[in-house]
Amino acid sequence: MKKNLNVLFTLLVLLGIMLSACSAPAATEAPAAEAPAAEAPAAEAPAAEAPVAEEPVTADTLPREQTMYFNGLQWGPITGWNPYSSNNNNAMAVNQQDNALLTMFETPYAYNMLSGEFVPLLADGPYAWDEGMTAITFKIKSAAKWSDGTPITADDAAYTWATNIKYETNAGVSNKEYIDTIEAVDAQTVVVKAKLNADGKAVNPLLVANYLTNNYIIQKAWTETLEARSADAAAFKADPAEDVVGSGPYKKFFADETKVVLERDDNYWGQDASMFGKLPTPKYLAHIMYKDNAAGFTAFQAGEVDVSQQFNANIQDLWLKDMLPVSTYLPEAPYGIGASLPTAFFNVASNGLDQVAIRKAIAMAVDYDTIIANAMTNQSATFTQVPRSIMNPTAGEQGMYDQAAVAELQWTGKDIEGAKAMLDAAGVVDSDGDGWREYNGKKLSYVALCPNGWSDWQAAIEVVAAAGKEIGIEITTNFPEWAVYQTVVTNWPLPEGYDIFMMWSDGAGPAQPWARVRKLIGSEFAQTQGNWNGNWGGYKNADADALIAGIPGMTDPAEVKAAYTELTKIYLTDVPSFTLMYRPQNFHAVNETVWTNFPHDGDGTNPPVPPMDLVFGWGIAGLYNVELVK
Amino acid sequence: MFQPLEHGCTLKKGDEALKGYRKYFLNKLFWFLLTFVAAFLLNFILPRLMPGDPVAVITQKVATGMQSQAAVQAVYQQYAEQFGTNKPLHEQFLLYVTNVFKGNFGTSFSQFPRPVSEIIKASLGWTLALQFPAIIFGWIVGNLLGALAAYLKGTFDKFVMPVSIFISNLPAFGMAVILLVVFAVNLRWFPTSGGYGFDMIPSLRWDFVRSVIHHYQLPFWSIVLIMIGGQAIGMRSMAIYELNADYVKYSRFMGIKDQKIIGYVFRNAMLPQVTGLALSIGTMVGGALIAEIIFSYPGLGTTMLSGIMGQDYPLISAVTLIITLMTLFANFAIEIIYGIIDPRIKAAQSD
Amino acid sequence: MIHTLQQIFHSGKFKLGFAIFTSLLAFIFIYPIFIPEAPLAILGQGTFFPPGIYVNVYDSLDTSKYIINQEGAAKRRIANKLSEDDRVAIKEYLVAAGVDESRIDITNTDELLQQWKATFDPKRSIKGFTNAKRNYYIRLNTALQSLYSTGPAIIAVNDPETNTLLESKKVTVTEYVNVNEVPTVRIFPLGTDNFGRDMLTELVAATKTSLQIGFIAGLIATLIGLTLGLLAGYIGGFVDDIINFISNLFIVIPPFVLLVLISFSIGQEQRGASTVAAVIGFTSWVWTARAVRSQVISLRNRDHVNLSKLSGHSIPHIILTDILPYIASYVIMAMILQISSGILAEASLSILGLGPKTTEVPTLGLMMNWAMIYQAQLQGNWWAYFPVLAVIALIAFSMNLMNTGLDQVFNPSLRD
Repeated sequence: MKKNLNVLFTLLVLLGIMLSACSAPAATEAPAAEAPAAEAPAAEAPAAEAPVAEEPVTADTLPREQTMYFNGLQWGPITGWNPYSSNNNNAMAVNQQDNALLTMFETPYAYNMLSGEFVPLLADGPYAWDEGMTAITFKIKSAAKWSDGTPITADDAAYTWATNIKYETNAGVSNKEYIDTIEAVDAQTVVVKAKLNADGKAVNPLLVANYLTNNYIIQKAWTETLEARSADAAAFKADPAEDVVGSGPYKKFFADETKVVLERDDNYWGQDASMFGKLPTPKYLAHIMYKDNAAGFTAFQAGEVDVSQQFNANIQDLWLKDMLPVSTYLPEAPYGIGASLPTAFFNVASNGLDQVAIRKAIAMAVDYDTIIANAMTNQSATFTQVPRSIMNPTAGEQGMYDQAAVAELQWTGKDIEGAKAMLDAAGVVDSDGDGWREYNGKKLSYVALCPNGWSDWQAAIEVVAAAGKEIGIEITTNFPEWAVYQTVVTNWPLPEGYDIFMMWSDGAGPAQPWARVRKLIGSEFAQTQGNWNGNWGGYKNADADALIAGIPGMTDPAEVKAAYTELTKIYLTDVPSFTLMYRPQNFHAVNETVWTNFPHDGDGTNPPVPPMDLVFGWGIAGLYNVELVK
Repeated sequence: MFQPLEHGCTLKKGDEALKGYRKYFLNKLFWFLLTFVAAFLLNFILPRLMPGDPVAVITQKVATGMQSQAAVQAVYQQYAEQFGTNKPLHEQFLLYVTNVFKGNFGTSFSQFPRPVSEIIKASLGWTLALQFPAIIFGWIVGNLLGALAAYLKGTFDKFVMPVSIFISNLPAFGMAVILLVVFAVNLRWFPTSGGYGFDMIPSLRWDFVRSVIHHYQLPFWSIVLIMIGGQAIGMRSMAIYELNADYVKYSRFMGIKDQKIIGYVFRNAMLPQVTGLALSIGTMVGGALIAEIIFSYPGLGTTMLSGIMGQDYPLISAVTLIITLMTLFANFAIEIIYGIIDPRIKAAQSD
Repeated sequence: MIHTLQQIFHSGKFKLGFAIFTSLLAFIFIYPIFIPEAPLAILGQGTFFPPGIYVNVYDSLDTSKYIINQEGAAKRRIANKLSEDDRVAIKEYLVAAGVDESRIDITNTDELLQQWKATFDPKRSIKGFTNAKRNYYIRLNTALQSLYSTGPAIIAVNDPETNTLLESKKVTVTEYVNVNEVPTVRIFPLGTDNFGRDMLTELVAATKTSLQIGFIAGLIATLIGLTLGLLAGYIGGFVDDIINFISNLFIVIPPFVLLVLISFSIGQEQRGASTVAAVIGFTSWVWTARAVRSQVISLRNRDHVNLSKLSGHSIPHIILTDILPYIASYVIMAMILQISSGILAEASLSILGLGPKTTEVPTLGLMMNWAMIYQAQLQGNWWAYFPVLAVIALIAFSMNLMNTGLDQVFNPSLRD
């Protein structure tokens, strides 16, 4: 016994030694642990409790009350700051699309997705078309300055366009079919000349104007520096541009694998009375790179994130169950403003799917309420609230077609009897008694697909498949990896097993709803290769094409409305695809632990600040309204 | 080892043993090199056998929002040219080999235009710092517990054993999720995610280091706890086996001091556990993956997963190559050392 | 044989493991007999309904009524709508809106409600109140509406001809229905998941699938490992080197990495449950092979083997009759471990979004994956993930207990 105790004691001592020997490296071996503990114990306290006062921050720690945190925008490390490149993976600084990102770089106009307005930003006042709609003229604000203090001139705008064309940047390649040149008339005046067709009219006036809200003006002097150090176009576009000069209210401050931080430019020109009259409130904009939605959600829940642009399932539980100071743009479901229409496309080459009756029957049988309640956890308007059309749920677009004229054609779903009757009437019946209907003697059996891991879409596709069973059409599901899926659906013809599949549609933007309609039913994209635009199911309709081609040139609103109504009719009659839910342009939930007065419905702003996470389009104006809690 | 096998362990003259050992060493070295070459080749080929088109993925990122069809096609061509994916596979391989030996792993697809080496550099440190201490710490504590259970038996054993079995059988993500929910979400003792404070900028300051250590705890324990259980079970079995071996009884009978015997017993029981330690380095990245994902911890595991999801061939190849090299060297070292210290292997050399 | 079985069942660890395992098995086979529902049927419109008994409101209106004068019922009703926190919040609002603080008594419900009714204005914007707080007051106000009156609630139906509401029933606060008399009651013992599916039904089906996956994976891994181990160990020499080389490859490119790569390459459309099981099996045989090899090496020079060799028996014959029986117990134990690690491997793969494609039944890993995608673990919806984890742990625990028990029986030196 005594011997046993001895051994036990020895072992315990050994254990003790090993534990201490081991836990020390365990705790300190993390990177940067080289810092000796004794180095600066005094520096430890002040950071967190730093007063709001604008004392110079050496920024080892970002003062919480001067920093606004985001999630859901930036996934993975930033690769550059180059506004000419499309590979920056920099969702806090560079993004030239509908509702362009306006933190570091600026466009002439900021798009307001709520009102559809072009709010002048770098531009001074509204733009003007010339007589025959062949060129746009706008002026640049005299107060507008680059971050290095030099004035922004029309020459910068012209040079940006020339560079876009010369180096075949995205902005150049995607606009050169519509824009001929951009010229400087004088230091302030810019003329954008449209490409003209054989009749001497602009190819597409809508997309010319689109350029003014979607594309940055970049400094000529800096561009020339970049050109000087780049061997060729590829090097030019691959340059990380650490030295870039912008015009926006923020500049780059820090970026690594785990976060990116922008710092306010306290000399920002926009504090001039001709623009905002003051600086944006937060000194820093920071985005942590969370691994997935769950991690981002946890941080949002903990108050470490102020603005959340990610799909947070059951967001209402945060205030109902957890009693957190979290709010969304709308206080009740759908919590946000729907802008895009995730849509299921029918492959018109599949057996039976060339038949309108079968397409429409499937679309009518789907239980959309369950999709919206389960897949979107009610973060989408229902089809009773916003009846089905080709428009998104924003007030602006809803007013662009005659709702009464198409009411007969709209369906709200779960109409099993109606769908069965429609199939029976079309002669699509179950003649061999196996429980499944046949067409052309072949059993109707389809595969419904969406990419693997796109959780809300997958949940929606499951509901679509369930509807098939109810009306005697076999629908199974399949979720290929995105890498495979996207190469298949973008190349016509679709292989067997791609019958009903989900893709996106355009959201809210200056060229909408035209661009969305064009991509949903325009034959231009139908049955093509490398198709990243739309109409992936291969549907063609000459009447629709004529209407789509005509709209950009129309100036009479009544005429435009009639055209959209007609297009809606075609879409709802032929059902080449069907929308499963509405999805906001950006998710926009805020945790008001530190900051408050975020844009929300009825916040009294005029023009209304859209829920665009305070960085996209006119959403940037929200940064000037936020204030600290208390 | 003390317990000789039936076919005998007769001592040979020194130089003969040395000759045997050299043969053993050369044989091991040959297979080591062969394994390395094969693994290198596989690391190159496997990722490239995956279906899908990574260039299309990059193109898509660029192309959403483009209004013109021809423009999208042009972008695609540009990238295919740049990455050399339009070249035949063997040409790509030759290029890859020459580059790797220059320390250049190529440009990442998914994080274009960042070089792969830069991405790896940024994440490797985190993984090593998390995994090495966790594995070694878990290994030591597990073995001590196992040895204690074997030696003390009784209530200690009755308690340690089932608990070890239960804990080591919790799936890794289950352990991580439970730690996260209990200690981070509910009790708020530890942060929920990240490698350091969300409000910090990396620097060599004390509060930053403290923040790193604070963030380190949950991922660390989620690995350690599972490790402890598995090691304890193994060690306990080995120790009991040795404790009941004939040589122990014989030694006791001979009146050798108990402490001395115990020393031999545990040294013998340890040997197989050491092999286990070397091999668990290979499982490091796989094991790290789950902890890294759940705690949003920066590291190699998630880098690899995002590489796979983004079909980033150069990145996947580089990560697997690093894992391969680490495991291979650990294995080789263990086998060589074994050849020196384990008489059974010496015996087998002359078999 | 019987003696061995007796010995096995004498081990406490084995018995416990066996009991847990067989009760799980029994449950997954008996449950579907009583509740033969499709495990993936979407029942709930909405996500994560908590466990409980759901009574159809519409039908309960037509069920016979019982008047019960329960003490404290009114109090509980009020507390449900007006918690202590709510009272404090109301006071905060009233004070901010200019009501004299001394006039506010938050314990006096009636007075508080009157003050609230008189003061609250949804359009009022109070400095320092966040939007979240404003929304809270609006919701609170809606919830309090029904407290202003204690009269009966009136159920009305719409007359389609006149398009007016006709009173059909009155419900007073003291009326009760007996749950047993309501024709439509649904019990969700474990609530529903993010799809609105019955968790328990799904869990039972998933356990079955996961066990199948584990079994197939374990079988494949054991067969490969056994064959290669026997060959390497018995034949030795060059064959041993080659097999060693292959198994080394599987170690230096870690099996889990291989598993992830292969699973991704196969693609979800091809990834049936049995395919995933096969892939797991093909990547996890290495340890069995190594262990079998070392066992065989220690056996191959035993006397009975040498005798067999001298008698001129063929190699397959020697392996089957002189070696296999001696390592059979070991192989069975290895297989048990392979099965349980196969189940874990499936779960881990599914967590990464690389799990099997199933249209009829889920797997444990997929259930866990969906629960985590919809953040059940972060929002306190424990029923959506904890039972899954518990089942996985129980399966692995019971199998390892059985394994340890067997180990003690077959290795007498390990016995307590």
